[in-house]
Amino acid sequence: MDQILRNIAPDFKTIDAIDILPSQKQLLSNNIPIHIINGGSQDVLKIEFIFDAGIWQQNSPLVASMANSMLNEGTINYTASEIAEKFDFFGAFIGFSTGKHDASISLYTLTKYIKDTLEITEDIIKNSRFPEKEFRTILLNKKQKFQINHQKTNVLAKNKFNKLIYGPNHPYANCYDIEEFDKIDLKVVKEFYHKYYTPNNCKIIIAGKVDQQILNQLEALFGIEKWPLQKENCIPEFKIQPSKEKKAFVMVKDAVQSSIRIGRSLFNKTHKDYAAMQLLNLVLGGYFGSRLMQNIREDKGYTYGISSFIISHLNAGHFAIVTEVGKDVCADAIKEIFYEIKKLREELVPEEELNLVKNYISGEMLRNLDSPFSLSESLKGNLQFGFDNSYYQNFISELKQVNPEQINKLAIKYLQEEDLSLIVSGSENSISYNS
Amino acid sequence: MIKFDKFTLDNGLRFIVHRDETTPLAAVNILYNIGAKDEDPDKTGFAHLFEHLMFGGSVNIPIYDEPLQRVGGDNNAWTNNDVTNYYLTVPKENLETAFWLESDRMLSLAFSEKSLEVQKNVVIEEFKQRYFNQPYGDVWLHLRPLAYKKHPYQWPTIGKSIEHIKTTSLDDVKEFFFHHYAPNNAIVVVSGNVETNEVKALAQKWFAPIEKRKISKKVIPQEPAQNEFRSLHLERNVPFDAIYMAFHMGKRTDEDFYIIDLISDILSNGQSSRIFQSLIKEQNLFSSIDAYLTGDFDPGLFLVTGKLSEGVNMEVAEQAIWTELDKMRESKVSEYELQKVKNKIESSLVFSEISYLNKAMNLATNELWGDANTINTEVLQYRKVNIDDILTESAKLFRKENCSTLYYHSKK
Repeated sequence: MDQILRNIAPDFKTIDAIDILPSQKQLLSNNIPIHIINGGSQDVLKIEFIFDAGIWQQNSPLVASMANSMLNEGTINYTASEIAEKFDFFGAFIGFSTGKHDASISLYTLTKYIKDTLEITEDIIKNSRFPEKEFRTILLNKKQKFQINHQKTNVLAKNKFNKLIYGPNHPYANCYDIEEFDKIDLKVVKEFYHKYYTPNNCKIIIAGKVDQQILNQLEALFGIEKWPLQKENCIPEFKIQPSKEKKAFVMVKDAVQSSIRIGRSLFNKTHKDYAAMQLLNLVLGGYFGSRLMQNIREDKGYTYGISSFIISHLNAGHFAIVTEVGKDVCADAIKEIFYEIKKLREELVPEEELNLVKNYISGEMLRNLDSPFSLSESLKGNLQFGFDNSYYQNFISELKQVNPEQINKLAIKYLQEEDLSLIVSGSENSISYNS
Repeated sequence: MIKFDKFTLDNGLRFIVHRDETTPLAAVNILYNIGAKDEDPDKTGFAHLFEHLMFGGSVNIPIYDEPLQRVGGDNNAWTNNDVTNYYLTVPKENLETAFWLESDRMLSLAFSEKSLEVQKNVVIEEFKQRYFNQPYGDVWLHLRPLAYKKHPYQWPTIGKSIEHIKTTSLDDVKEFFFHHYAPNNAIVVVSGNVETNEVKALAQKWFAPIEKRKISKKVIPQEPAQNEFRSLHLERNVPFDAIYMAFHMGKRTDEDFYIIDLISDILSNGQSSRIFQSLIKEQNLFSSIDAYLTGDFDPGLFLVTGKLSEGVNMEVAEQAIWTELDKMRESKVSEYELQKVKNKIESSLVFSEISYLNKAMNLATNELWGDANTINTEVLQYRKVNIDDILTESAKLFRKENCSTLYYHSKK
């Protein structure tokens, strides 16, 4: 056999385009859009009902998430435990989530049980009753979770950061005090449900093995006959009110590690610089091989992990670097983070490194877009911006064009030290460091 | 039904290939038959620390991650008390890069002093992050030694203490590598958009030249039957009391595993489950509660863990759990209830077959237990369970003298 050369990497191919299973859009008779992603190897389905019923739409804290959670707690036809019995018996799973602009109900079911499981889902969406006892239980359990979470340094750092970036009352900050759990009124939550969980406010994504019969059933249950349109809501407006304060420390007694969060407000994915900014983010802290990870974890051993990311909301966005480090090395870690940012402002990213992250992110997109369920997740994110998953084809070709000079320009424009907020949460105040 | 091919190289390295052409990717999963239970009681946390060192460069390739990321790949690894598992995914065209990287680190490591020093610190920070900087984070550091007096399951994968991690030397690392990392102590599963012939050729090229090694398997002290109730009280700065109950049960590969798994589902899988309905919804005694099994290779634990609702007395909460467990051992569950949890199991098996990576991990583990094809027959084991099995196993399991309870009190 030929001698193999273990010190030379085998040849490889770069990913120039991604084969994305497309979605088809249809309308129910009451104009509810259904986005269909038909594929996969298993006889399973995920159906997500998405309503414009998020944190942005609520008038006081907790209302949107309580309304969403209460859907599972009893209808005019069934009690909460009867609903739970039915989903469990069919081996189905029903999930609830509340986002900044929407709230959703996701049904995961074997295709053979779709008829029954979809009927219960219809009931909870349209006929929820909001019983008082269940409301108290859910609220209390959420309150306990809140109290446990608010002992964690990373949660406290995140809340403080969001308040500084968006202003304390902005929906994107979504910060509130524990007293809100005692103030919230069931009546308000119920009103929110009736106002926002309507056909006018609804879209559906269905992924997996989809056939005409299932679409017919959706029409029969959610079409005009059984779900007439209602009056339109006006959407509230919120202004971002960033704080002038750029540094903050949140005390957590006895914490053995400190959470660091550094970042700023930023544009969202509709901006022309978004693709290039994603590459900058990758180079800095967006993957295991990133500069921050290599420096702060793999060279210094200050942390188990450090990462950076861009959050793209509908009306704004932000960039953040987050890590948890030993309290004794917190100031040193902050110093190194700013050093890596400075390097991006002052030096060009080598072509080889830039090519590596371009290849890596293309691989990531393959991973994230390879099954009907994961595609439905991405589609949900894209739809609110008015895109579908073909967005990624443009994104990938834009990425290929980005050069080191562009990255450098973005670093100079967006990553000036005085524009970045710095939050530390822990037992020692390390926000004054020596750069 | 998951179809696969199987072959073994002359050096003892086993390969399993599963084709799933719905993905443009390929996964390579390598399971090494070495975990925290194989550690010396004075050098715990070593298997996991070692997992970190596997990313610190191998004999011919100075950096592991970079070449993988360059071809669009991604990777990670985990260690538990029984095994260490490495996995990666790459675009299918770049499968050879994975073979090149994984075979070189099976051949030998770079053994760098710097990498050892850095990874010790990283693991110490991981220790702090997971166990000391989270409310309720240190539970397993105390619950394991309460339940296990002889068996090495008495320490968590991360190790008994930070001190053990600090004292590791490079000689320890070398010895460990050559006694445990070897083709004859590993199973490779390749899944995704791949052909068996292609995998065979790559396996032959990259892995066949690695020589078989002598594996040191020490005798693991088995845990004697527990015959008296054990308890421990801890007081911590957390907002609410919590309770952790551990019962000894059998091995993952025992036949009654499937019965006990269904028992845990009757108790706590889904919102219609018994303890969810009774203890959270009806009596408001807990804000969260769960019953589950560790599924360890050696005899493992059945756990009931819950966070108490504010103002609920610990004895009242504990008694309420016992009432539910007593019901399980005193009266038969209904056919309907048993059917329900069987349906849930079947459904979750179907859903778990969506991910090619998930399938790779499960195939590897099943092969290590004896036969990869168990992945396809397990559902029959679940179907076979009847209501008398549930009653008999519950009676064996839920005895006070088989229980270790950790009372986690909120310091108010």
